Amino acid sequence: MRKGISGVVILVLLTLMISACSNGNNAASTNAGASQTPAETQQPAASEPKDGGSLIIGVASDPVVLNPNYAGDRVSLTIDQALYAPLFQVNNGEKTFYLAESLTPSEDNLTYTLKLKDGLTWHDGEKLTADDIVFTIDSILDEKQNSFLRANFLIGDKAIKAVKVDDLTVEFQLPQVSPAFEATLVQVFPIPKHIFENETDIEKSTKNASPVGSGPFKFKEYKAGEYLTLERFDNYFGGKPHLDSVTYRIAKDTNAANLALQNGEINVQYLDPKDVATIQATNNFEILPYSEGRLAYLMFNANSDTGALAKKEVRQALSLALSRDELIQTAYTSSEYADPAKSFLTPDALYFTNEVTSFDNDAAKAKELLASAGESNLKLRYIVQSGNKAQEAISLYVQQKLKAVGVEVELQNMDSSAWVQKFIDLKSTDYELALTGYIMGYDPDAYRILFTTDSSSNYSHYSNSEVDKLMNDGAGEADPAKRAEIYKKAQELVAEDAPIYPIAYTKTVVAVSKNYGGIDEAVLKPVVIFEDLSKIYQK
Amino acid sequence: MRQLIVRRLLQTLPMLFFVSVVCFTMIKLAPGDPVLSFVTPNMHADDIERIRHNLGLDKPAYIQYFIWIKEMVQGNFGYSLINHQPVLGQILERLPATAGLMGSAIALAVILAIPLGLVAGANRNRWADKLINFISYVGISIPLFWLAILLMYLFAIKLHLLPSMGMRTIGVESPLDVLKHGILPCSVLAFGFLAGYVRYIRSSTIGQLKEEYVQIQYAFGSKKSTILFRHVMKHVLLPVITLLGMSMGDLVAGAIVTETVFSWPGIGSLGMTAVKGMDYPVIMGITLFSSLMLILGNMVADILYSFVDPRIKLKG
Repeated sequence: MRKGISGVVILVLLTLMISACSNGNNAASTNAGASQTPAETQQPAASEPKDGGSLIIGVASDPVVLNPNYAGDRVSLTIDQALYAPLFQVNNGEKTFYLAESLTPSEDNLTYTLKLKDGLTWHDGEKLTADDIVFTIDSILDEKQNSFLRANFLIGDKAIKAVKVDDLTVEFQLPQVSPAFEATLVQVFPIPKHIFENETDIEKSTKNASPVGSGPFKFKEYKAGEYLTLERFDNYFGGKPHLDSVTYRIAKDTNAANLALQNGEINVQYLDPKDVATIQATNNFEILPYSEGRLAYLMFNANSDTGALAKKEVRQALSLALSRDELIQTAYTSSEYADPAKSFLTPDALYFTNEVTSFDNDAAKAKELLASAGESNLKLRYIVQSGNKAQEAISLYVQQKLKAVGVEVELQNMDSSAWVQKFIDLKSTDYELALTGYIMGYDPDAYRILFTTDSSSNYSHYSNSEVDKLMNDGAGEADPAKRAEIYKKAQELVAEDAPIYPIAYTKTVVAVSKNYGGIDEAVLKPVVIFEDLSKIYQK
Repeated sequence: MRQLIVRRLLQTLPMLFFVSVVCFTMIKLAPGDPVLSFVTPNMHADDIERIRHNLGLDKPAYIQYFIWIKEMVQGNFGYSLINHQPVLGQILERLPATAGLMGSAIALAVILAIPLGLVAGANRNRWADKLINFISYVGISIPLFWLAILLMYLFAIKLHLLPSMGMRTIGVESPLDVLKHGILPCSVLAFGFLAGYVRYIRSSTIGQLKEEYVQIQYAFGSKKSTILFRHVMKHVLLPVITLLGMSMGDLVAGAIVTETVFSWPGIGSLGMTAVKGMDYPVIMGITLFSSLMLILGNMVADILYSFVDPRIKLKG
């Protein structure tokens, strides 16, 4: 039996050895900072950025695809932001040029001329030219290539054309005036023509597994389910990045990820507001709440089979029964992480105003309105994603507050995929209320699909011909002053009609280890955390 | 013996077919849609339909199943609907991590359970028995994910003795580094089984101690420990082999939780992601693979049984 026990001991060691020796085809390199504790890595703050070191960013899943034409999930987009450089980016209305040197509209606003910077190179040393930009746009527009971005490059069902003028110049020809075109171009991160030319299916190409980009960091290694490492690209046009490498560590369990953060195994991590106090108490992290340009709102389904919410007065009455401040406390624990919302546009959007009619916290008036609308014993169905803490908390709050004005709310808990399926199905008529949110970008034209009659994402089935006209006019209006008028009026009309109850412009909270500097220059950005990772340095 | 193995392997085919039908039906009956993984608010309805068509999801469910099984017979497990990577490749890539974790956890559970169970059984109702029983009850009652977080907090955050997550330090390729990373997940997974095994061995030991051969050994003046570890243990261990075979299903379930919490890059965490995204080719691949493991585990247990006790004749 002694033999048996020693056999089992050998088995333990052997099996762990087997797993250790597997998955090891990639080049090995050491990363001294990878599992140091915060105490060990704590260094005195330096005033000047230093070169070297690594950064570990915690992500919740494996990337789906490392190709910006297909990335739709948060993790892929985050990694692509470091791998691929954009043409330009816009923050608070200010343009920052990356690959592009300038973008100039023609007098008739039908042609945009894009000039590239000179001397741009891909990570493999090939030159980045106008051919790559044209190839990227053409592959987005090619139906067979299945890019998610395709619809954005159609204006009134006609495609935008990208034409090479010379190696550094591309002309974009628009079928009609579209001021939102710049917002579309912001989403473009060029892909290399010399890599993907002649690929019949770029989305499934094996070349996506070893991406060649033009961003500050280049691909080094990917261990599925574990981590993905990028290393510094010395020829980055924006100047040599400070860090030697950036690693995206996959941590699917939030509690475990928070512990790894405290242990120094992760340096940057999204935080749930409820975890902020714990992480803050360690005194090793900067807690950075920042706006993601996201609106969280209660959706009123006017198309339900009872027709209960088809009347404007009923929607207004339900809104009056609720309190934004209480909702923010309930769902986001503090007003520090969410600003009260009244408009359907988010604060980062052009022509945003929160000075619109709002219905808030007046139960007596709510009862009056319901009575005047001839509604009594109103029963509503509210769909809730099980396990989603914010949704569950808000649903209970809404149920209680609406009960106070005589409206009965039946909560229907369901699995998240069932919830999403029901929510995005425009034919769903068996519910009235749902909590959701959107990030639509900075150009107000993007919001058209949410609030115009019969449009693709008009989940509340809102219909107002005046709003339809305003949104369509705004899409084709080149004069910024006239556009501002149009969208201010549209915001007021939508607020008055109350197709949704805007709750808050929510913020994302990120914890960044105090061992790193350059955060302001790197620019905190919705969805992808940092706009330019080349600026971050280890103190 | 060879005939028996071949016969048992052939029997697995209809079982796997049955499992595949049940699994596919359940996936299709469950709410959710893999296309939702791709949907963004500004995506056109036509684009969503185009993606659905390209993935073959607009075909009736039974046609989808027949396409899947046809490919399966040709050795093609299909492609993930989410990341378009081959399913078999993903399973094989992650298999060593899962095999390592499961193998070491089972081995660790057995190593610890044998002495603990024997000691508890031999000292029935004494303090040692009560202590071991208490640990067993804790093991049975404690949720794995909670134990995982607890150990992670203690050994990684407070004591700084072990890494909290992952299978290796970033960029490091060393078996010792993997061993270090494996200690916590392996212990958590083993603890869940340890409790069951200890209780089983304890009750078997109590039964064996009443047998005539034990009384004879006492009469010959043998020491209690000699009787226990030399004679009783042989008899007690035999059913443990069967127990091991039967544990395979629970082992897979435990691995899903453990791998997810510790970010261990095995089949369990892959399956968890697939279920969330309704990625049915991956779910089907992992289910079939797990079923095969379960069947083979039981078969190996039966074969081992006949080796350990030649009186047992196996019949297919």
